[in-house]
Amino acid sequence: MVYKAYNWQLGREVNYPYEPKRPQKQFAVVMDLNKCIACQTCTVACKTTWTPGRGQEYMLWNNVETKPWGFYPLGWDIKLLELLDGNKKTVFDAPEGEVVLGWKPDELDWMYPNVGEDEVNEPVDVGTVLENLPHPIWMFYLPRICNHCTYPACVAACPRQAIYKREEDGIVLIDPERCEGYQECIRACPYKKTHFNFVARISQKCIGCFPRVEDGYQPQCVITCIGKIRLMGFINPPENAKPDNPIDFLVHVKKVALPLYPQSGLEPNVYYIPPINVPLSFLKQMFGPGAEHAVKTYMAMREGKEPELQALLHLFGSTPRIPHTFKVVGNEVIAYDEVGKEIVRVPIVEPIQHRPHKDEKLDVVRQDIP
Amino acid sequence: MRYTGALILGLVLSGVVFSQEIVCKRVKSLPLDPLDKAWTNIKPVDISLSGQAVVPPMELKPSITSISVKCLNDGKNIAFHLVWSDKTEDRFHLIGKFSDAVAIQIPYRPSADVPITMGDKGQRVLILHWAAFRQENIEKGYSDTAKIYPNYAYDWYPHADPPYKYPENWANQYALNYIGGEKVFRKNTFNTPVREVVAEGYGSSTWKDIQGAEGKGVYRNGKWYVVIKRAFVEESTSNPEWGPGKETFVSFAVWDGSNGEVGARKSLSYSWIKLRIE
Repeated sequence: MVYKAYNWQLGREVNYPYEPKRPQKQFAVVMDLNKCIACQTCTVACKTTWTPGRGQEYMLWNNVETKPWGFYPLGWDIKLLELLDGNKKTVFDAPEGEVVLGWKPDELDWMYPNVGEDEVNEPVDVGTVLENLPHPIWMFYLPRICNHCTYPACVAACPRQAIYKREEDGIVLIDPERCEGYQECIRACPYKKTHFNFVARISQKCIGCFPRVEDGYQPQCVITCIGKIRLMGFINPPENAKPDNPIDFLVHVKKVALPLYPQSGLEPNVYYIPPINVPLSFLKQMFGPGAEHAVKTYMAMREGKEPELQALLHLFGSTPRIPHTFKVVGNEVIAYDEVGKEIVRVPIVEPIQHRPHKDEKLDVVRQDIP
Repeated sequence: MRYTGALILGLVLSGVVFSQEIVCKRVKSLPLDPLDKAWTNIKPVDISLSGQAVVPPMELKPSITSISVKCLNDGKNIAFHLVWSDKTEDRFHLIGKFSDAVAIQIPYRPSADVPITMGDKGQRVLILHWAAFRQENIEKGYSDTAKIYPNYAYDWYPHADPPYKYPENWANQYALNYIGGEKVFRKNTFNTPVREVVAEGYGSSTWKDIQGAEGKGVYRNGKWYVVIKRAFVEESTSNPEWGPGKETFVSFAVWDGSNGEVGARKSLSYSWIKLRIE
């Protein structure tokens, strides 16, 4: 059976093997790639919380890779683009005998996350000629978690129906008791965010920190981010977008946060503010045709022309609670929880304290050390 | 509909019985060892297998196309002796790598009308599934990380005891239930390589709480020799209507791990084979 599911990221219907149904709320995360420094604090936070067990050694439910040459597993997005080579095709347009157009990484493909990824990032000497390279020297960091897709390929592919998408928050989970480790989900997920535990012999994946989300808190990877690049919330489809919902504002109103490889057809729910230092052709390949608008808007914000957007970015990393709505009042941005109670208030411009170099009263010279 | 052809094929084949018949002789004691002499004098029935092409994911290029079956019973237990050729011995279930396996399917109601595609609602089947990776665990110790990847440099396991047991009093009960819980641990530590599974249609197979079936597999000269043994009637659980003097039906499935076969990707006998139990 094949159903037609409307994918707003593509603006058209896609094939899906289950009846399309949106959850009551949809888990979503926005990540500002202009601010990620690949410190891997998110990776470690997730690792210590969820994947410290036997058979999970290689597993990273959250990882940060260096684009364009970093991968986990090896070549995951190159392979995806190769599979989707062709007009108007998604991973649900599978050949005879398959549910999803997928591929399975070799075990060694998983074994070297980040190894050697940054070694080429040497300082460029003045006068270096770059014209002959395939691309000029640019790079950025791409943090990745499970996208908790609206139309998950893992759910579609599991022959035991051991994977399900939760009605209450859209988080996608694997039932460890039903899972038999057939690895069809690993073959199907184009983002390769399901993993096989070779000791427990079940598949496992990012669970969106559902125990925290149930209590109104953002996931571990979001709140531990020292670069304050992440914000978790709930997204509405564009026709129901609410301008005071921080995720809706970034994705639907300002359109600065974009899905990763939307051409997969899964309607992924982690959104990225694209890095402004990267060639547009690459950003379009990765985040879709909206990349140009997103970069322009972000650059305008840096010039002070998007005060509300600038204010909202101050909420990133400012509270462990899930913000459902936000408001800018004077010099402050305020976030509210599900019932409208204030959870945090952040000044948009921090007061500056100027301390003169020489303290006349104490007759000392201050060193520039805090 | 892309799969209509395959589905029709499946529907047509369900309920069909070909002329083959397995006679299950009665003996005094049942050997669990597939190389035991008791098996040598029994004439095998060769059953042809084809790729699973009813429901995706399918196996359109299966590498195993026949299986040789013998059967014995002692009045209380039944044992099947299964032999098939497989060039590669796959004894591990790893990342992207699968174990060789074999399964016998028996309808609860002894009728060839039960859909051969793992039964249907109200038409339950019993599946006895032997896997080489379980045999390996039992014979050579649980396949833990250190055994699978001996050079793996990792020594930080703050919570899990081998093979996968988490402390009951671990503060993070969500994590305990989700990533390691008692049931996953139990599932992997039964002291038998055979799993008893019930199903009412494909995608519905579920492990039984009581796991009584036994088995043993030996790989020799490019062939798997496997014995699967079960009591006709197991206490405190459901059983098919079978026993001495009765007739029922069986079908078989084989998985070749190195051909990427697992779950629905398998070769199977597309018809019920009559099983006459003496």
